[in-house]
Amino acid sequence: MRNYFYCAQGIIYKELLRFLKEKSRFFSALVRPLLWLFIFSAGFTSALGLAIIPPYESYITYETYIVPGLVGMILLFNGMQSSLTMIIDKEMGSMKILLTSYINRNFLLFCKMFATAIVSTIQAITFLIVAYLYGVELSITGVLLTIPVILFTSIILNAFALFISSVIKQLENFAAIMNFVIFPMFFLSSALYPLWKIKDSSLFLYTVCSFNPFTYIVESIRFTLYLKYDLSTFYIIFFYFIVALSLAFMGYKSKKVLKKS
Amino acid sequence: MKTHILELENVSHTYDKEMVLKNISFSIEEASFSVLLGLNGAGKSTIFSLLTRLLNLQSGSIKINGYTIQNYSKALKDIGIVFQEPTLDLDLTVRQNLYYYGALKGLSFKETIASIKDELTNLDLDEKLDTKVQKLNGGHRRRVEIVRSLINKPKLLLLDEATVGLDLKSRFDILDYLRRKVQKGELSVLWITHLFDEVQESDTLAIIHKGKILQTGKVEAIIAEHNQADLTQTFRYLTRENPDA
Repeated sequence: MRNYFYCAQGIIYKELLRFLKEKSRFFSALVRPLLWLFIFSAGFTSALGLAIIPPYESYITYETYIVPGLVGMILLFNGMQSSLTMIIDKEMGSMKILLTSYINRNFLLFCKMFATAIVSTIQAITFLIVAYLYGVELSITGVLLTIPVILFTSIILNAFALFISSVIKQLENFAAIMNFVIFPMFFLSSALYPLWKIKDSSLFLYTVCSFNPFTYIVESIRFTLYLKYDLSTFYIIFFYFIVALSLAFMGYKSKKVLKKS
Repeated sequence: MKTHILELENVSHTYDKEMVLKNISFSIEEASFSVLLGLNGAGKSTIFSLLTRLLNLQSGSIKINGYTIQNYSKALKDIGIVFQEPTLDLDLTVRQNLYYYGALKGLSFKETIASIKDELTNLDLDEKLDTKVQKLNGGHRRRVEIVRSLINKPKLLLLDEATVGLDLKSRFDILDYLRRKVQKGELSVLWITHLFDEVQESDTLAIIHKGKILQTGKVEAIIAEHNQADLTQTFRYLTRENPDA
């Protein structure tokens, strides 16, 4: 057990070191959702009227609505950034150091996902503080309770990202991931607009959104942030957690590691 | 009688229907300096990947320190690994890189530095602990990787073309250092290379060609057995005799 503890400590230590050394990465991760909050939402506030929908108990501003989605955006982009790092590590060879440890490989990969989730959570909380200062209605209790949810859901996205990094053969293919994974995942969710609005426009898109794990990640953050819970969302989140971890672990099974490196 | 620290028995491996290893069998004794010598594409790196579990074993058996490779938590516990390509994080300092690797071997930060204190001094690295790896030259980076591989006091050290890209002095400094450790009985080494000048007559040798082991034994005995002048000629003779090995 002691060995596993030190191993986890080392992986988290390295991820935090990288995070501290790449301050530009921290700011760019913040700038993206802040631009959406300050500019995009300002433009759309008048265009998009929102009905009262759970977990909200009264009419809310569009800024308030999109904050959980933008937290999800931070987690999503950070997960993909971590996937990009894994591909670079694979190309550079440093990934082999991790994979040749005598400690259980799935444990090592989980630690890697958890370490990235810690970094994502720090960024998400910083964003929530800025959003609060900007005037978005948030409670301290809500933000504190959201921390474990952000951490947990971030692991799901990191696991998907890890799986993607295992199937990408070259760094050049990463741009395609942006177009075919990140953007559809983000836009086909409840991050920017409630699902009933999508249902009004297209039943097909609504169905796709209903299967998108990112929808449930955003909703779980939204509900917790406003001190509500929806048990069915958490069951679905847990289901996606298992699926994502299984995919990530399968992606880094021994025989698959070297083929691409 | 010396025991075997590494044993490969009838190991075969196929990549996309092409058989790259054909019934490989060889073993290395405790406290020996063994060399796996072969040309590029002979199958050396595939063997290295199987030994380090980067590839799954398809057929045959591999035992390290008495444990089968499938029992990796025990088999890989007491080995050190140096890869052909650089694997240090360039943005981190030497100390931070060592901390990270030590942690992957289940050691605390304090234990990590304590375990390689002598190694750092012997390889002139103790002054460079807080230097960023990207500021080190190729020779020093390699030395850091050697020290790193010794963090867990391994019984067996596996090195895959560890001196590629280094100047002659750096190459032989590293070789001499490891040979001294082997002579003291501190560890066993499997040195994988295509460079003939890195092999000494006292080494144990396994010659691999086109996925097959052509010969194993002490270098001087192999040369004598085929009545050749040196290792290069012996290698040429053996590969000519076995063109489709």
